[in-house]
Amino acid sequence: MTDATSLPLAASDVTGGRRLLRRALAQKSFLFGFGLLVLFVVIALLAPVLAPHDPYLQNLTARNIPPFWYEKGNWLHPLGTDPLGRDYLSRLLYGARISLLIGISVVMIAGLIGTTMGLLAGYFGGRIDMAVTFMVTTRLAMPVILVALAVVAIIGSSLWIVILVLGLLKWDRFAVVMRSATQQVRSLDYITAAQASGASTARIILREVLPNIAPHLIVVATLEAASAILLEAALSFLGLGVQPPLPSWGLMVSEAKAYMFFSFWLIALPGSALALLIFAINLAGDGLRDVISPEKRN
Amino acid sequence: MRFFDKASTALAATILAATALATPALAQKAANTVRFAYDQAPESVDPFFNNVRIGVIIGANVWDTLIYRDPNTNEYKGQLAKSWKQVDDKTIDFELREGVKFHNGEEFDADDVVYTLNFISKPENKVVTQGNVNWIAKAEKLDKYKVRLTTKGVFPAAIEYLAGPVVIHPNEYYEKVGPKGQNEKPVGSGPYKVTNYVPGKSITLELNKDYFKDSPKPQPKVAKVDIRFIPDRQTQMAEILSGGADLIMHVPKDQADQLQTVPTLQVVSGETMRIVLMQMNILDGTPAPALKDERVRKAIIHAIDREAMVKNIVGSGSRVIHTICFPSQFGCTDEGAARYPYDPAKAKALLAEAGHPSLTMDIVAYRERNQTEALIGYLQAVGIKTNLRFLQYAAMREQIATGKAMLTHQTWGSFSVNDVSAATPNYFAFRSEDITRDPQVRDFLEKGNNSVDPAVRKEAYKAGLKLIADKAYAVPLYSLPVYYVASKDLAFKAYPDELVRFWEMGWK
Amino acid sequence: MLGFIVKRLGLALLVALAVSAIAFFLLRLSGDIAVAIAGEGAQQADLDVIRKTYGLDRPLVVQYLDWLLKTLSGDFGTSIYFKADVAALVFAKLPVTLILGLSSLAFALLISVPLGVLAAIYANSWIDRLALAIAVVGQALPNFFFALILVMLFSITLRWLPVSGSGSWLHYVMPTIALGYYIAPAFMRLIRAGMIEVLSADYIRTARAKGLSSYAVVVTHALRNAAVPVVALTAVQLGFLLGGSVVIETIFALDGLGYLAYQSITYKDFPVMQVIVLLLSVVYVLLTLLADIANAWLDPRIRVS
Repeated sequence: MTDATSLPLAASDVTGGRRLLRRALAQKSFLFGFGLLVLFVVIALLAPVLAPHDPYLQNLTARNIPPFWYEKGNWLHPLGTDPLGRDYLSRLLYGARISLLIGISVVMIAGLIGTTMGLLAGYFGGRIDMAVTFMVTTRLAMPVILVALAVVAIIGSSLWIVILVLGLLKWDRFAVVMRSATQQVRSLDYITAAQASGASTARIILREVLPNIAPHLIVVATLEAASAILLEAALSFLGLGVQPPLPSWGLMVSEAKAYMFFSFWLIALPGSALALLIFAINLAGDGLRDVISPEKRN
Repeated sequence: MRFFDKASTALAATILAATALATPALAQKAANTVRFAYDQAPESVDPFFNNVRIGVIIGANVWDTLIYRDPNTNEYKGQLAKSWKQVDDKTIDFELREGVKFHNGEEFDADDVVYTLNFISKPENKVVTQGNVNWIAKAEKLDKYKVRLTTKGVFPAAIEYLAGPVVIHPNEYYEKVGPKGQNEKPVGSGPYKVTNYVPGKSITLELNKDYFKDSPKPQPKVAKVDIRFIPDRQTQMAEILSGGADLIMHVPKDQADQLQTVPTLQVVSGETMRIVLMQMNILDGTPAPALKDERVRKAIIHAIDREAMVKNIVGSGSRVIHTICFPSQFGCTDEGAARYPYDPAKAKALLAEAGHPSLTMDIVAYRERNQTEALIGYLQAVGIKTNLRFLQYAAMREQIATGKAMLTHQTWGSFSVNDVSAATPNYFAFRSEDITRDPQVRDFLEKGNNSVDPAVRKEAYKAGLKLIADKAYAVPLYSLPVYYVASKDLAFKAYPDELVRFWEMGWK
Repeated sequence: MLGFIVKRLGLALLVALAVSAIAFFLLRLSGDIAVAIAGEGAQQADLDVIRKTYGLDRPLVVQYLDWLLKTLSGDFGTSIYFKADVAALVFAKLPVTLILGLSSLAFALLISVPLGVLAAIYANSWIDRLALAIAVVGQALPNFFFALILVMLFSITLRWLPVSGSGSWLHYVMPTIALGYYIAPAFMRLIRAGMIEVLSADYIRTARAKGLSSYAVVVTHALRNAAVPVVALTAVQLGFLLGGSVVIETIFALDGLGYLAYQSITYKDFPVMQVIVLLLSVVYVLLTLLADIANAWLDPRIRVS
């Protein structure tokens, strides 16, 4: 099928790490995105230090306090409190943890499945390739949101279930990219040389093939992480993703939507945080792709 | 950050200005159409095959019952029945009204009553609202306009049910099309008839021009009612703010308070018979065995600040309850029942004593999500972590009935029946949603249900309610107020039974 | 060519079959459909009767084959929640979702084609950068958040558009924008890349050398060639749109397939869920099949590989 086999893939342009680094540093949008992403990671890691309050502590006598720039706001709760009286800034900071945790975990699960499948298909070809291609095509034919929603609705939703479901659904692009990258690397001279010298297949795949296609892997991983974070947010928005009281940004938008006409910041803050994170990841991912294969910027 | 500030202020100002200038509500007045938005679609329009509020509302507007309870005086009046007589403990005779016609022209007589009552009383016909009908033994035709109803046991609340959920179907039509056809093209005898129904989307009611003049329900004035099912609260709010709807209900307190400031809208609120409670699964094989420990259950009640919830997020017209029933219901009392005031320290101590300083369990819920979240926050504060499963009512009921639920956040409207028999037994008399199953409690409640002497009934209910409270079988929370938001020129009244009476509505 | 089509058709059928099986087993994993059908107050005996009448006591594989045969013969079953024929229910909602999907696609192309073309012609200029910025920002904005902002702006503040429903074309404007903007960046990038490649190709240089105006070169030569991969992407994106419609249709209470899917999921209405998943998969498989055939017809090399 079309997209399973013909997704645009950058021609393998494996170059020295130092040259890549130099090119990366020369790219402003990559630097910006990467810097922003680092900031999000720092926020996530330091959330317990940075947060002025316990993000779960509810206080029904201090509800709906607006942020400090409003007349009724105060500095005790710089970004105000939510309708249950929980400190909004603290929840936003902790929310970064959840989004990043989801992005990273989903990509690890999906990456492991997809990369394995893609490597095997690309390296061995033949029947294995056909089987993998068929599985990828089947997976692509299933509407991700619908299947994820249905499964989560049936078996119950929690952070880890959402991660697992998304991880088991989002391996397709890894498999596709790994497959074609492996096919290209495979025919290179030194692999043939390694094969001739009697190295085991596992050794060749892990030692020779994988390192050479790692840059592509990283690009796919960043873009898939962004998509996983967005999917979690959409599931949570529909009430079938991460469950309260966890401060997922998607859930926060969902909880604040009834307030949006009169307390716009309640929805604007988590919504913007989410958009900014995705923006940073995409920028870094796009930049990385350009760095790895500058001739294929698309 | 300035941006949000400006945007928000500007927005609030424009909302006020725009709604002040707009006149779509007036246009609706001219068209004499009420556009009502509701969040849930009924599974069936046939009142016996759904148990959601919107189904009760549609049922009362499209169908009639034998008896009518005046919502202002609580006095029973004849509707399809002209009069009735209690023959003995288990037998009531009805004299029916003549000259009433169903929407399809079918004439109303004893056959309709006999057919409907016998149909719904048979378990194999799988009426969804079993609690409303399983007391009926049989109905017999005495003559064309006389019917005899026999109840299975002594059932003093019969009249109350006959004035509420037990509507009368046209027998010839129903026999032909069954519940499925009655859902697709509903036919009743009420003040409104269904002219268009798209499952899951909308239902249109039009005034029944031939509605019988002697009905205790006033003759309808509003020509057309457009009911649309809009799942998202903020979409409903956007509709009423932009003049796309004339009436929404079950608006949370915060939103109602905000909408109150909009000049084109009115907010009407009041207490309802709906009570809010948490169930705790202590059946054998419960997925949360810790709940079997009375101390854990008591800790859960102590952990929740019901007064603060009522004051801050539930709203006016709500009161804290201490037993599982609505105070105005016959037989409801909290006299002598144990009370568990808000005391997180005590809750923690009880949990520690029971050997569960920290616990994790599921909680299922289906409405008033902000209140569920407050409950979750209180439980978390004493060391009980919860996984929320927010479900549709039917799905939640399945979880409970199959014993998979641990904690529940339930509400119960008693089908607006003003008698404890319609409330407490649903959760404690071994019905499908009973996840405590104490035979002693059941026996008290059954005795209350099936005795004639009011004093005996009261005594039995009191003993049952006290036992439930003393053993902390459930968490009684509060009664739920209902907030309606309507365009300013719609004239309507809110009643505690949460019934929207389109036949009473008009324009100011 | 015929051999190619037959081969691809076979593959498409296999894929559809695999999806139907996965969907069936996944949805049946934990939900007890008998309890869902039985409703309130069901006793064990009732459940047994229901299991028997609906054949739920048979092995899952047998149930699957039975369901498959019935579905293939056009009997989609009855909705547990709405008590109505699934086929009638689904096909009544299909037009709304089709209109939404196509209008979103049109909207996406309407912004992505001009932007992509301009970005390619003026590569690395400010126009290119602006287009890229729009693409990156567009992809970052969660569609539910964007949809809510649209409601605020166009329904509440400006009062230009109705909030929800599907009564007139005006009802489709906001859902179309909310759904369409999200897929536009992918198109834009593809068109830009394709255009750059084609514009540097020999025959375009020849055309330019022959003195054809830039407009003629761009429109008649370059764009036509750059459009080939766009056709393939369109098929994929349309499938994606149908999935995304779940969120958007729920927000705008637009009574389409996505909203029905959401309802059936929350009501645990298995028969409806299964049919919608299967339908969306079949649509996707068919679209990619058509794109494959179209591409093979355009480019004979594909047929051979």
